Amino acid sequence: MKVKVDAAACQGHGRCYALAPDVFEPDDHGHCVIPDPEVTPERESAACAGVENCPEDAITLEDD
Amino acid sequence: MDTNPETDPAMLLFSQEAADDPHEPYRDLLDRCPVTRSETGAVSGEAGGSVLVLGFEDLNWALKHPEFLSSEGAVSIGNDRPLIPLQIDPPDHAKYRRLLDPEFSPKKMAALEPDFRVLVNQVIDTFADRGQCDFHEEFATPLPSTFFLRLTGLPLDDLPVFLQWRDNIIRPDVEPGDMDAAAEIRAATGRDIYAYFERALDERSEQRDDGLLSRLLDAEIEGERLTREELLDICYLLIIAGLDTVTATLDCMVHYLALHPDERRRLVDDPSLSPAVVEELMRFETPVMVTPRTVKQDVKLGDVELRTGDSVTLVLGAGNIDKTEFVDAETVDFARGRNRHLAFGAGPHRCLGSHLARLEVRLALEEWHRRIPDYRIPDGAEFHFSPGIRQANTLPLVFGNGSS
Repeated sequence: MKVKVDAAACQGHGRCYALAPDVFEPDDHGHCVIPDPEVTPERESAACAGVENCPEDAITLEDD
Repeated sequence: MDTNPETDPAMLLFSQEAADDPHEPYRDLLDRCPVTRSETGAVSGEAGGSVLVLGFEDLNWALKHPEFLSSEGAVSIGNDRPLIPLQIDPPDHAKYRRLLDPEFSPKKMAALEPDFRVLVNQVIDTFADRGQCDFHEEFATPLPSTFFLRLTGLPLDDLPVFLQWRDNIIRPDVEPGDMDAAAEIRAATGRDIYAYFERALDERSEQRDDGLLSRLLDAEIEGERLTREELLDICYLLIIAGLDTVTATLDCMVHYLALHPDERRRLVDDPSLSPAVVEELMRFETPVMVTPRTVKQDVKLGDVELRTGDSVTLVLGAGNIDKTEFVDAETVDFARGRNRHLAFGAGPHRCLGSHLARLEVRLALEEWHRRIPDYRIPDGAEFHFSPGIRQANTLPLVFGNGSS
């Protein structure tokens, strides 16, 4: 599974990297970047926290 | 509360009772009419009426579709031109945000944490031994204002003047409903604000300091410096937004925690809960109840046909307790898993200062509860919150030996 962010939809709320800093990081504008999109089982709940708390619905999980 | 279905919905929302405790009117209107036309108008009852939007899904859509619901000219707060970036629509809006977002980015804000923590303690020191304070006047007001002036590089001695301007603009001291008198106060204050920042920018044009104003003077968009008018329109917004909303947020949250000692105890016992406490109370209290828009293209929202030119009031606080989005929407749950609250808005106009606000509120709550874990509102205390942006006029607290 991979986690993706739609850069055009992200508005820099920062909920994702506040809740799951191991998966999501801020750029200099506060928008979300995902250095490693691979969702291993141990990163799954962190990735889901980002999906569930994005006010813009910009983050999605996709099957490989 | 007035439960007569004939009562105009805006009258319910912008009443003193609603500002003090907005959940009942939110719930009532969410159940009856999640999108509804009001005859009396928006935030402060200006003429012409307004469409109120309360349901989460419609709010979410409205905030993300500026091509239908414009922020341009939606409200005048004494300004001659649109405030930047608040009252600018895409695509121009994006160029200003690209310039300003890095100034308020999470990385930049995180670097301020040590300084802010020191300031919180200095403010608490001014009343800690007394066993009582006016939380609004002595903590929630000076803390964010002082910090904001430091960030912008403006002199702290001018704080009383800024606070007076803030009050003149946001809650002018007039008889309820006297919109002409309010407009007059706002216009006069607007002239003072422009004149002040003309001088402040002139001084920094001569000699730069390390504050935000000086950086804005050197900033460029597509190779061009900002014009004097653009600089003024940014400054006007920053001073009003920077001085008011965090004060209101602290008032709302500590008022809640004073009245809910069990929830407060959880935070005191486990300070690592503080980010979750901030998010959940942002949702539950929603200090900025509403945000205005103007219809740019006809569109149907709920059962209401919006017509070009209509005024629209997005009731963020109602959406934040809408049970179609939030599980146990009216319960405060610091362990809430899914929380897409709209307290900072959404879409392109997501609050520019949200990362600064979150940092300030989190550190304020952490340090306050570390030093003053037990407090209460004294019996018989009288205070009220202001409609629109829910700030207390006074919030007396007793603590230490005085609290039991």
